[in-house]
Amino acid sequence: MSAQAETTSGAAEQVVVRNGVSIDPTFAEAFPMKATRVLITAHNDIWARNAAVAMTGFATSVIACGCEAGIERMLSPDETPDGRPGVAVLLFSMSGKELAKQLERRVGQCVLTCPTTAVYAGLDDGEAVALGKNLRFFGDGWQISKMIDGKRYWRVPVMDGEFVAQETTAVMKAVGGGNLLLLARDTDAALAGAEAAVEAMRAVPGVIMPFPGGVVRSGSKVGSKYASLMASTNDAFCPALIPLAKKTELDAGTRCVMEIVIDGLTEADVSAAMRAGIEAIVARGGDAGVTRISAGNYGGKLGPFHFHLHKLLGAEASI
Amino acid sequence: MSAAQGFRLRLRAQPDFRVDLSPLQPAVLAGRDVGEVARLELRHANAHVELGELFDVDALPSEAPELRIEGDLRRFDRIGQGMDGGRLSVTGEVGDYLGAAMRAGEIVVDGSAGHLAACEMAGGRLEVLGDVGDFAAGALPGSMDGMRGGTLVVRGNAGARFGDRMRRGTVLLLGDAGDFCASRMVAGTIALAGRVGAHCGYGMRRGTLVFGGSAPDVPATFAETSHDIRVMWALLSRSLGKLHPAFEGRPARAPRRVVGDLAADGKGEWLIAG
Repeated sequence: MSAQAETTSGAAEQVVVRNGVSIDPTFAEAFPMKATRVLITAHNDIWARNAAVAMTGFATSVIACGCEAGIERMLSPDETPDGRPGVAVLLFSMSGKELAKQLERRVGQCVLTCPTTAVYAGLDDGEAVALGKNLRFFGDGWQISKMIDGKRYWRVPVMDGEFVAQETTAVMKAVGGGNLLLLARDTDAALAGAEAAVEAMRAVPGVIMPFPGGVVRSGSKVGSKYASLMASTNDAFCPALIPLAKKTELDAGTRCVMEIVIDGLTEADVSAAMRAGIEAIVARGGDAGVTRISAGNYGGKLGPFHFHLHKLLGAEASI
Repeated sequence: MSAAQGFRLRLRAQPDFRVDLSPLQPAVLAGRDVGEVARLELRHANAHVELGELFDVDALPSEAPELRIEGDLRRFDRIGQGMDGGRLSVTGEVGDYLGAAMRAGEIVVDGSAGHLAACEMAGGRLEVLGDVGDFAAGALPGSMDGMRGGTLVVRGNAGARFGDRMRRGTVLLLGDAGDFCASRMVAGTIALAGRVGAHCGYGMRRGTLVFGGSAPDVPATFAETSHDIRVMWALLSRSLGKLHPAFEGRPARAPRRVVGDLAADGKGEWLIAG
């Protein structure tokens, strides 16, 4: 890859180099989604996490999982409604209806079933969707409703006592599909850089990185030569295809690329997370092996949210 | 005279018979002038009397609807009945039906209230610094449901049938309750800091009684459960603690729990924290 990169409009823009890391003059393109936050508490943080991990399993991409979900952060007892340790979980989907379906299934199968847990709404404002509203029927008539401070809770008798679930949670408009592409000299360097970036991004509230460990190695493009597939491998960023693909974004020194996908409750949250990720890579320096940062987009025609890497860095004026 | 948002009424003369004060609502009076308010007609037995014949009326420099009433109002019923907003405060005793069916706003009475206070209350906040009579937070005669929303705080004692047929809402009683407290209760929460009389929870179907003071005698138609209720107790006790310091600091220790009335489905609960 040269020091020049083509923008989507065809105009040439300069690459910014920071501490030996090149940052492409491009942007990540993201889409509107619907999101909710739920708070899971339990007897201790181990069981709260067990429930959250189960609930956010198989939720890497809306392409086939129905939703994208992840642990936002752990909660200390003084941050939860019932004073126990907890976990904040974010769920994103393409529609409020699908989100409601996924939420009910996942809470029903993964939180209701997990010892000692309780589940609460993590958002106050927005359209209400069922949380414990329908799960209460598991109680077979023994369930009890309790209104406390204007919020309705359901108490379902279970074998370890009772499962407490707030009746509804709120759904808000959100942003999905922010992303960073980390181009590295080899697998070790790519993994180490991606891990550092994800760790920094996890400190940002309101976002999740839904893929395993926050990282995806199978970045995709829209469409495929096979009519039945809606997405296929991002050949322009596959090192194996440098000499073969019609168009490649890589040079011969790039032998491994990792992508970090970010879903956030707001555009500002996604921006903050992407900025944190870029800064973490830059702080490590190009010598650590991640030599270039890029981002995926569809020419700016599909998603209304454009996260320009240089703007995130505040680098436009210093090129 | 200019319009005002708030008014002060000072009782000048006791009426010969009972007076219905339900027309006096802060939100309804707001925007009127003193003269208009003084000419309001009130039901007085089977006749009418102008407000100005009984009260001195002053405007208050309030920015929101407010009404202050001062005097011995034991012959005045239905104060704040059906109230839908604003603030109403009374200094003195009041008659029956205080805050009956109120939906929003706040009523504070620095004194005691008669019977049927907060009956069928649906929203807002009502606080009585003294005692309340029988059937507080209960149902109107002939009605199936009692209090159905909002918050009632009684700092003194309550008469019989406190919370009879109560369906929703939160009640704090800092003094003692009379006989048949929470009888036929359908749902909601009653927190008691004092003692209760005979037949507490008679016919109780659902709902929660929290005993923060002395432990009551548990009737034969209630049964003890031993499961872990710390989650719900944490939620409930935190909420009650915000309403009054008497219930603060309770989450640390889970209360004893009994359920009943088993003669009426048995889904009501007593949380005995005292």
